[in-house]
Amino acid sequence: MLFNSLEYFIFLPIMFVLYWFVFHKRVKVQNALILVGSYYFYGLWDWRFLFLILASTAVDYFVGLMIYKYKEKRNKQRIWLWVSMVFNISLLGFFKYYNFFVDSFVDLFETFGYTIQSTWTLQIILPVGISFYTFQTMSYSLDVYYNKVKPCRDFLSFATFVAFFPQLVAGPIERASNLLHQITHKRIFSYDQIVAGLKLILWGLFKKMVIADGIAPIVDDIFLNYDTYSASTLILGVTLFSFQVYGDFSGYSDIAIGTSKMFGVELMSNFKFPNFSRNVAEYWQRWHVSLSTWFRHYLYIPLGGSRVTKLKSVRNICIIFLVSGFWHGANWTFIFWGGFHALAYIPVFLMGRNTMYKDNVVGEHTFFPTLTELGQLILTFGIVTFSRIFFRSESLTDSFQFIKGIFTNFQYETYHHPNGYRMVDYFILLAAFVLYEYRIRRDERNPFKFKSKAVRFLVYTLVIFTMLLFYDSGFDRSFIYFQF
Amino acid sequence: MKKLITQLGIYSVLILISLEILVRIFYLGEDKPTRFVDGKSVEKWVPNQEGYSVTGNRNQNFIRYNINSSGFNSYQEFIPTEQGIEVALVGDSFIEGFHQPYKISIGRKIEQRLNDRVKVFEYGYAGYDMADQLHLIKAYEEDFGLIDRIYIKLMFSNDLTRGEYFIEESRLNLESPVNKLLKKSKLLVYFSEIGALNPARNLVRDIMAVAKGGNAKEQPEKDEKEVGRAHEIYLENFKNLVALYGYNKQKTVLLMDQSTTPQLFLDYLDTNGFEYIDFGADLNASKRKTTLVYDRHWNNHGRDLVAEIIVKDLKANLLDTAP
Repeated sequence: MLFNSLEYFIFLPIMFVLYWFVFHKRVKVQNALILVGSYYFYGLWDWRFLFLILASTAVDYFVGLMIYKYKEKRNKQRIWLWVSMVFNISLLGFFKYYNFFVDSFVDLFETFGYTIQSTWTLQIILPVGISFYTFQTMSYSLDVYYNKVKPCRDFLSFATFVAFFPQLVAGPIERASNLLHQITHKRIFSYDQIVAGLKLILWGLFKKMVIADGIAPIVDDIFLNYDTYSASTLILGVTLFSFQVYGDFSGYSDIAIGTSKMFGVELMSNFKFPNFSRNVAEYWQRWHVSLSTWFRHYLYIPLGGSRVTKLKSVRNICIIFLVSGFWHGANWTFIFWGGFHALAYIPVFLMGRNTMYKDNVVGEHTFFPTLTELGQLILTFGIVTFSRIFFRSESLTDSFQFIKGIFTNFQYETYHHPNGYRMVDYFILLAAFVLYEYRIRRDERNPFKFKSKAVRFLVYTLVIFTMLLFYDSGFDRSFIYFQF
Repeated sequence: MKKLITQLGIYSVLILISLEILVRIFYLGEDKPTRFVDGKSVEKWVPNQEGYSVTGNRNQNFIRYNINSSGFNSYQEFIPTEQGIEVALVGDSFIEGFHQPYKISIGRKIEQRLNDRVKVFEYGYAGYDMADQLHLIKAYEEDFGLIDRIYIKLMFSNDLTRGEYFIEESRLNLESPVNKLLKKSKLLVYFSEIGALNPARNLVRDIMAVAKGGNAKEQPEKDEKEVGRAHEIYLENFKNLVALYGYNKQKTVLLMDQSTTPQLFLDYLDTNGFEYIDFGADLNASKRKTTLVYDRHWNNHGRDLVAEIIVKDLKANLLDTAP
């Protein structure tokens, strides 16, 4: 079930009413409702893969109890932790990476002159959300192992924590320390929280339906026919893709966070206006925050983080970015994408500027950014956008051909929308979007922060009106990050 | 909870009103002309209506239509005479032309190319099939008797699904009091036009299909055998329609895309002396786009090509000039 489908807008109010007005007296019954609803939500895509979620839930539930049981015996704890790691990574390895490894193995042999007739590749369907819920269950076992949370003894609550439908298929990847206690404790009906949730849902839908889906046909066309376009069009294509992927994923996250709020649950923020980052390090503090912090806590810090020698820190940065790239997809393009970001991050790290923008935003004390900040924004956006060529291309060959096109076929051409629409509409739309996001850049959880009720109402109306202006009934409206 | 429901209700109503106003200000919802069935059981538009046909979410195709006293969209009245040379184009929305300025319709283009030596009457109505078209010609046989050449646009796979004319209630239901009331909301019309109501419609359709014990999923594509059987039925329907409503082979020409018409039908037409001309070859061979951006109807270039094909036919078969 997609967040931007009619089914969801029937499902959500039904769940809401049952949750707050029928089953509100007991938290266990509310959890049971959420669990059943979540399995239904997921099962509409493919019910067979519910067994994977159940298996992952059962294994980590048991592992958590076992780790706690042997709290005095670190070795046994470690063994149980490995059970969780091996199980979850095996799930990912098989469903997401098996064919990639087989193909890469065959290619490797071919480079040495050996031809292998591969019959090992399998027709494997990638279960939606597998990268997200396996990481969430692993984080639970890791948190129990590191004594950050106590194991959950109530299987129903734990299963609800794993399958919580707003964030099941594309995050935010929650940590047990944030989400689990909210699941086990009674939630209080709060008008303000629900209204805040509804606002986030509206803003998320706008980003998805207008920004992401609006420009998707242009991006698809340019990346599909990149060999026929000149540099100006290729630059346009990858720039628009940057907006598309941001609109798509941050839109999804906003709807997820907004929906959770409606059920009295606060999820972590996943996007904090990454397009207004002043360097690549700041970008990673603002883009897909739940994944970045996951890797930071469970990979970067255990490897020593930045408290080791510079050389080892650089190694750690490379590892975390390469693994992060690989997490996105079983393709060398994602590994290159991760590697590119590592290369962009290391200079910032070596100059000691990787945490300098942690607690402030661009134009912190003024409305407009300074000229220096503006330059930084453009440079960072340019670097990140360039890296997206790898992210979006089907293969490394396509990526490099695309880049070659930018640098060798340098001429301006007027681009025409593949469906014949006016391109100027999209440019105006994006300019307005960037300006609006700049205005609200201090608080990603309150996109409609206006003192005047009338202005707020006007903005709601304009947002919905723009959604109608760019609504495309014939467009495939699934989310990009579902494929990860 | 009360507060939540009250606020949601108030905001929803106010937003809907604001959207209705915005849709009207920017003229995003099209004017829907009124249809009716006349005294001769012919479905057509209520005569003498004017308005704007709008296509695309952002008012990308904004065309004025003019329903004449015969109930068809045209810049002129249809008054056939003994003396003049008159041509009729009979067809569906492609001939009706709500997607084009009526002053540069196919008919007008033909007239201009022939220096106004002929008058072209466009009997176009969205949804017309062969039964509608032959019934119309039969119903107005006096008028069509005066017309010198008749072109009937025919799409074999769509227009021959019935062997007898009857009034299409589903189309006329659009004029029911409820629908008339709904059409007063430009916002609702706009929703419908941009496909925003499709998910709801599809859901209702699926639920009804399941309730009736059927399958909500779409029917699988027909195999070759089934297609062949359907073609035979369509051919039988054609024969039946011709038998029921008559067909003047001397002056009637079928306007078809030969590339999408089965050989079975073409052979039948050849054997039995039915004239036809192909517009598909020229349209398909065109290097420029022949359809509109926002829908599949012919754009100005497409209409130019179709007009040219008809002009050639007129020159060869009706006018005393070399093609």
